[in-house]
Amino acid sequence: MNTSAGRRHPRIAVVGIGNVLLGDDGFGPLAIEMFRCNYECGSDVEILDLGTPGLDIAPYLYGTDLVVIADAVHADERPGTLCIYSEDDLLAQRAQLRLTGHHPAVQESLAHLRLAGNAPSELLIVGIVPESCDFGNGISPSVLNASPFAADKIAGLLVERAIDCRRRHAPCQPNFWWLSSDRRDSVHNEKDQNQSPRTSGCLETRFPGTDCQ
Amino acid sequence: MARVSIDPVTRIEGHLRIDVEVDGGTVQKAWASCTMWRGIETILLGRDAREGWVFAQRFCGVCTTVHAMASVRAVEDALQLDVPANAQYIRNLILIGHALHDHIVHFYHLSALDWVDITTIPQADPARAASIADGVSIWPGNSRRNLEQVQNKVKGLVASGQLGIFSHGYWGHPAMRLSPEMNLILFAHYLQAIEFQRKSCQVVGILGGKTPHIQNLAVGGVMNAINLNSLATMNMDRLGTLQSLLQDLVPFVQQAYFVDACLLAASYPEWFRYGRGVANYLAVPDLPVDAKATQFDLPGGVIMGGNLGSVRPIENWRDGAIRAAIAEDVTHAWYVGEGAQQPWKGKTDPNYTDFQGDGKYTWVKAPRYNGHPMQVGPLANILVGYQSGHGLTRKWTDDALKRIAAVHGPTLRPEDLQSTMGRYLARAIRSAMLSDLALQHLQLLTANILKGDDTIYNPPQFPQHQIAGVGLHEAPRGSLSHWVVIDKGAFSNYQAVVPTTWNASPRDEKDVPGPYESSLLANPVADPAKPLEVLRTVHSFDPCMACACHTLDASGREIAQVKVL
Repeated sequence: MNTSAGRRHPRIAVVGIGNVLLGDDGFGPLAIEMFRCNYECGSDVEILDLGTPGLDIAPYLYGTDLVVIADAVHADERPGTLCIYSEDDLLAQRAQLRLTGHHPAVQESLAHLRLAGNAPSELLIVGIVPESCDFGNGISPSVLNASPFAADKIAGLLVERAIDCRRRHAPCQPNFWWLSSDRRDSVHNEKDQNQSPRTSGCLETRFPGTDCQ
Repeated sequence: MARVSIDPVTRIEGHLRIDVEVDGGTVQKAWASCTMWRGIETILLGRDAREGWVFAQRFCGVCTTVHAMASVRAVEDALQLDVPANAQYIRNLILIGHALHDHIVHFYHLSALDWVDITTIPQADPARAASIADGVSIWPGNSRRNLEQVQNKVKGLVASGQLGIFSHGYWGHPAMRLSPEMNLILFAHYLQAIEFQRKSCQVVGILGGKTPHIQNLAVGGVMNAINLNSLATMNMDRLGTLQSLLQDLVPFVQQAYFVDACLLAASYPEWFRYGRGVANYLAVPDLPVDAKATQFDLPGGVIMGGNLGSVRPIENWRDGAIRAAIAEDVTHAWYVGEGAQQPWKGKTDPNYTDFQGDGKYTWVKAPRYNGHPMQVGPLANILVGYQSGHGLTRKWTDDALKRIAAVHGPTLRPEDLQSTMGRYLARAIRSAMLSDLALQHLQLLTANILKGDDTIYNPPQFPQHQIAGVGLHEAPRGSLSHWVVIDKGAFSNYQAVVPTTWNASPRDEKDVPGPYESSLLANPVADPAKPLEVLRTVHSFDPCMACACHTLDASGREIAQVKVL
């Protein structure tokens, strides 16, 4: 945001990109949820599930010091392999984010922000080679198994840059709400009128950074 | 006769292919084909109706909140469940925040470079540009100093010989006609726009708990606990933050975006003659101002045959005619079945045949309103509002038309907006109007809370028998409807009729084309290898954007590849 007093609060964004309904394309949101549950960070770190924002990613990168993007990538490796890229890799197309849908948009957003003077100082990508990005297929075992390592990698990148990020003594239970196959023939009505409204279980992740004991 | 195939036109979600036959420099025939199917509605079958919105907002990465909103409204409609006034206002503010974001991105980042040639910016005289801009707007970002800074950035870019993401524009195309000064003004706002996108995201984030995927909805209301004495809830502090964000955002929309759209319209008057297409319009009422949703701040209605006087108002969401009128035809779409199906009975069984111009050629169904194709979007919104005597629509439309005439543009009537440029202008008019409404709805919310009303939620009760409902929303790209059938609290059918389905509709069983297809007819195409004019009309609907166009000759051989910004 705008900084009036000339003192700039460092902002770090840990961003998950991908459509959770498209199998391993949901790696980004999965990895950052794993990171949120296993690590705690200072208030200067924002954890953001951005889905598939296209050019709409720009406002979230605006004015940041460091961005770490987790996403599925194209790479000539076995599914489940983690690949770390820099911004230069992305611009030189050595890093290929999975969907043509969001691939050019990240570069364009960065170019816009750079011209406007609000680009992140550093951008890193924690990518994974997906097994299957088909609709409604859930996450492949290889990608699921790699996700705690992706969380560790994100944490490592932050710690290397002297950013406050510590492993939780008691990890939270990750909430991969989109993987639940919770279908039914009927639901129970709420008996108590004062009961708080029911929605999906994802509410625990509402305010990133808050503790979840 | 040249056959031009632009595939994909879409950059964001879903893939769009446009094929046109060009003869004598104009388009003779056009096809719109969506080349990607996800059958995403099927993921909702059997799920708890209270949770549908969480999945629905993942339909699209850009229009997240709109699907969440249509989904809860559909279930509430089926239950005939009212939501409290506070919930209406909070939802409305989220929808406005999202819409402003979307319209700003569309005008500047998705389509401005169809009209603005950035390679002329180094020749601009910044003092003259500042004086032009000052003559039409009080926007503070137009200072000579600001414009000089932007010019220097562009000079650096051009001198480096590496335009990067801008290297594939149609620079120097004969249809690019703005002066270097105008190009500089618009590109300066293009860069400034990012800061205001951010502010509109923050509005959505404060109310929705998270953005781009909001977390505060519930069937029956919202979950924004209201307590003026608590730090953790909706309190005067948060309301104040919203107020100050809007006070920053509104001037950009009304003094920069709106004015730029008027300048663009005045500079390209011939584009009010192209791109009319389907002249039947549908807009649904939105921004309810009371708990029972009897009064709306955005009027809905139907206009047929381009005759604005024929407007039939849609008074509210329970309007019986709209429920009976909408059906989807799959004659030319890759689905099993023939003829039109009412969405509650709609099926989504794929039947892929490859692209067959006279047969099936798209994944988009053909929605029809009493058998007619309809155009949806800000233009429909504005025409319906203007003709219904809606105060804010009239205020901003009249202002726009006056501004265009004042800078030596054409003298236009509201009916002249039925065109490619009219769609751009209508989107800016709608944005200016929504900016006023954002401040009004924040006042409504604040006043209601101060009155002592802290109700946010009416709990749903699901009956044991089957119920059906439709959730309507006038989204940034036009009328959106989610149609649900619920059995004992779980979805047994779910169909979304989205704005792009209306506009990108293929031909129907009577071979009548949809809005994209018919709007392209008679469009000029100066150079089939650079189909800029086709893109201007397609982009005027705000579909997802093009990243690469493959231009093919009739034999299907690629004759040129043009990347589009």
